[in-house]
Amino acid sequence: MRILWNRFKALFLNRRLEGELDEEVQVHLAMRADELRQQGMDPQAAQQAARREFGGVDQMKEAYRDRRGIPPLEILAKDIRYGLRGLRRNPAFTLAAVLSLALGIGANTAIFSFVNTLMLRMLPVEKPDQLVSLYKTGGWGRGYASYPLYLEFRKHTDLFAGVFARSGADKVRFDPGHSNRAEFVQREFVTGNYFEVLGVQPVLGRVFTGDDNRTPQAHPLVVLSYDFWRSRLGLDPAVLGRVLLVDEQPLTVIGVAAPAFHGVEVEHRADLWVPAMMYRGQIMEPGMHWIWIMARRRPEIPRARLQAAVSTIMQQYLAGVYGGNPNAAFRRFAMEQKVEVRDAGVGISELRDAFGKPLRILMAAVALVLLIACANVANLLVARGSARRREIALRFSLGASRGRIVRQWLIESLLLALIGSILGLLFAMRGERYMLLFLPAGSSDEFHVAPDAAVLAFTAGISVLSALLFGLAPAWRATALDPAATLKEGGTPSAGRGPRAGLRQALVVVQVAFSVVLVVAAGLFAHSLRDLHSINAGFAYQNVVTFSLDYPRAWEAADKDRLRERLSTRMASLPGVASLSYGFPGPYLSGNWSSGIRVPGSARTAKEGVEVAEQGVGPAYFATIGSRPLRGREFDESDMRATRKIAVVNESFVREFLPGVPDPVGRVLSFDDSKPEGGEPTYIVGLVRDILHNGLRSRAESTVYVPFTQGKQGPLAFDPPLLVRAQLPPDALVPMIRRELRNLDPEVALVEPRTLRERIDDSIFLDRMVATLSGFFGVLALLLAAVGIYGVMAYAVARRTGEIGLRIALGAAPARIKWMVLRDVLLLIALGILIGLPLSLAAGRISASLLYGVQPNDPLTLVSTIAVLVALGMLSAFVPARRAASIAPIEALRHE
Amino acid sequence: MVLRTLETMGPQHGFGLAKRIQQISDGALDLNQGTLYPALLRLEQRGWIQSRWGASDKNRRAKFYELTDAGRKQIGHETDDWVRTVALMQRFLRPAEKES
Repeated sequence: MRILWNRFKALFLNRRLEGELDEEVQVHLAMRADELRQQGMDPQAAQQAARREFGGVDQMKEAYRDRRGIPPLEILAKDIRYGLRGLRRNPAFTLAAVLSLALGIGANTAIFSFVNTLMLRMLPVEKPDQLVSLYKTGGWGRGYASYPLYLEFRKHTDLFAGVFARSGADKVRFDPGHSNRAEFVQREFVTGNYFEVLGVQPVLGRVFTGDDNRTPQAHPLVVLSYDFWRSRLGLDPAVLGRVLLVDEQPLTVIGVAAPAFHGVEVEHRADLWVPAMMYRGQIMEPGMHWIWIMARRRPEIPRARLQAAVSTIMQQYLAGVYGGNPNAAFRRFAMEQKVEVRDAGVGISELRDAFGKPLRILMAAVALVLLIACANVANLLVARGSARRREIALRFSLGASRGRIVRQWLIESLLLALIGSILGLLFAMRGERYMLLFLPAGSSDEFHVAPDAAVLAFTAGISVLSALLFGLAPAWRATALDPAATLKEGGTPSAGRGPRAGLRQALVVVQVAFSVVLVVAAGLFAHSLRDLHSINAGFAYQNVVTFSLDYPRAWEAADKDRLRERLSTRMASLPGVASLSYGFPGPYLSGNWSSGIRVPGSARTAKEGVEVAEQGVGPAYFATIGSRPLRGREFDESDMRATRKIAVVNESFVREFLPGVPDPVGRVLSFDDSKPEGGEPTYIVGLVRDILHNGLRSRAESTVYVPFTQGKQGPLAFDPPLLVRAQLPPDALVPMIRRELRNLDPEVALVEPRTLRERIDDSIFLDRMVATLSGFFGVLALLLAAVGIYGVMAYAVARRTGEIGLRIALGAAPARIKWMVLRDVLLLIALGILIGLPLSLAAGRISASLLYGVQPNDPLTLVSTIAVLVALGMLSAFVPARRAASIAPIEALRHE
Repeated sequence: MVLRTLETMGPQHGFGLAKRIQQISDGALDLNQGTLYPALLRLEQRGWIQSRWGASDKNRRAKFYELTDAGRKQIGHETDDWVRTVALMQRFLRPAEKES
């Protein structure tokens, strides 16, 4: 071991040790010579005698060296040094190759980090592969379900080893006790067996048991996440038994969970967990969808059987709860709910559900970019191989084996890949930060995509793979030569098209083909995004800021109404502020609300009630979001206090329920849908345009707007988000709102101020992200292809100097020569397009679901892609072509 | 052999060692002096000797070799081994002498 270490050390001290050895030998010889001189020999003879006695100096040194280092490693080190020297000597080549690789590898690493975070990283729990999510679809919302449904699944111990549930992590006020500023934490309600089924241990104290979740409001306990304990409480071990005020609930700390555990959701981390029984709502209400059910399945039960059993349980449950409901429309809606058994070992993630497919497509795109980059580097290497024929031939004749030279070559490739991947990692880290900017605010908190071991392994893997990909063929080709002939030739390859020219051209064709795919994709996504942006959302969303208010728990609805009213008056009096209003759910804010209605006289509701979207809005709501009633009027202050029920409807509503009616004002609808003619009438007072409340990609739906106070008597007992329209920029407006609010009541906090514009951008964040990234990759592909084409043509012209000179000498016009070169390029590009177009059509079909308003075989996109590539080819071949045309015959002949 | 020499003479440079070994062996071991150096390297890698640069008698910079503790122990082992080997050989050789 020691010997090995000493030898290993020697590898790095090579130069110094070599000097020492030399000195040692010199000293030895000098001493002996001195001695001999003293015995009377003349100096020169003494020196010779000393050498003779010593034996072969160089043989000894070689034996010494063999013993000193580890020969195979030493050769490797020599190869690496040699390779680095080669790369340094040729900076243009090195720069082009390393940059190509860095861009390719960087793009792959960046996208893979997302894939890793969202799809691959397993939860730090016991046997995560057994975890499933009981994903609810249909009916109201996706994923989240009701507590009674959880209790139902929990009975089936034959199917599951354990069933647990958790609410989403929601941001709530937290009073650390030492400051007046409101702090926020991510709280998650969980069932008592949450930690037990997951197999998560406490690092301090204990975690919940079933006994901690029995009676509503009777378990004021909290388990902290390790990160929260560290960052907010300084790892204080005395935290056990302390009472924290979370969302104004005093909760006693009973434990801290294991360090790596942050809950089961990927993009939202929980800071602390509270028993579900502490939820301040009607826990047992089957219409309250607030928890996400998960389970540990029994491995012996096959998936298909599990899904079938779960579906049966769900049907029986729904029949029991809703089967007797007299309202047919409601019953049908409710019975449409289903439960899907999904693997949840990597955690649950709504972002993944939205992002999964685009991410896969982006992954394919970056793989193509890397292939193009590899083709580029291979091309450069082949060119370099030709230039180094003489050197290779010389090494052959000096006795190097082909394997040795190929290895040397591959080491150079690996060095390139290594430098490229280091640079690529840096690119990737920047790129990720940029990609994160696309994610909607609130869709994730402190999203962790930092490179972990998996990402680094991936990067190392693809860089080695690409080194083999771009290094092996050129190395093999370059070493297939006859040393004697090459040396005689003087290193210049003979004219004509050898196999090497074929390889390079094939590489260019591949580059062009892949570029076509990427450029077509970029074109399609850009087109789709443009179409999305041109959608008329139904209102002027510029200059509108939205925010929510967080009130003290003790406040009654009337207190909140009063505050909103006072704030509205104060804001309206400020210069630059046009109006303030509020609405629930509001535009792009809090999801959907629907009600069953009847419209007397409408064929649509003659048989049964129909569910429509409902919005409870404040005075001047439409003016504030930038819309205007087409007919009639919108609500004012007095409507908020009136007892007569009124409503404003949208165009879709009229199309669906009152077709052919130009002005619905004065007509009646009813929220009592138990009889065909409805019950208590609600009078329609206005008509507004369709407003896409759920994002630009959503379809307009029939909507009934009612005064906020009127809706509140129904289920709309939620705090509405507020909206402010102003001429001021948001940066100036938000501090103003904050100040006014502080003056009115310092206890009320401003939550999530965002502009409507941002919310709309967020609603199409995937489209924006995919379009931007694919555009970037398309440009990258074109750039790399251009370099490739230029390289091949420049080299081809240089090689054919003699032939071209001869043609010129024989009277060929320069234009003809130019055309000769350009024709070659066109041929390559045509071939590439021919291969690339079918590929991109196939790719387009796969990504069709991501496109909006544009077909995957959009002729405009295809034609412009072809035009771009032809233009690119001409451009990059122009310089070599001009050079060819300006070859002087005499020079060319000398060249021969 | 080298270790033994170092033990008796103390720190010594390569040339001195070569001369000494030649003297002791009385010319019977007439190897090229150069072969000494790879042997010294091996001993150094095993940690039995260590080397440092110092000034020789004529103010030349020379590399001096000296025994380490591990080396001293090793001499003990090797001496024992050698004595045992010699004893064994003698036992084989002596009866043969008697018979002859």
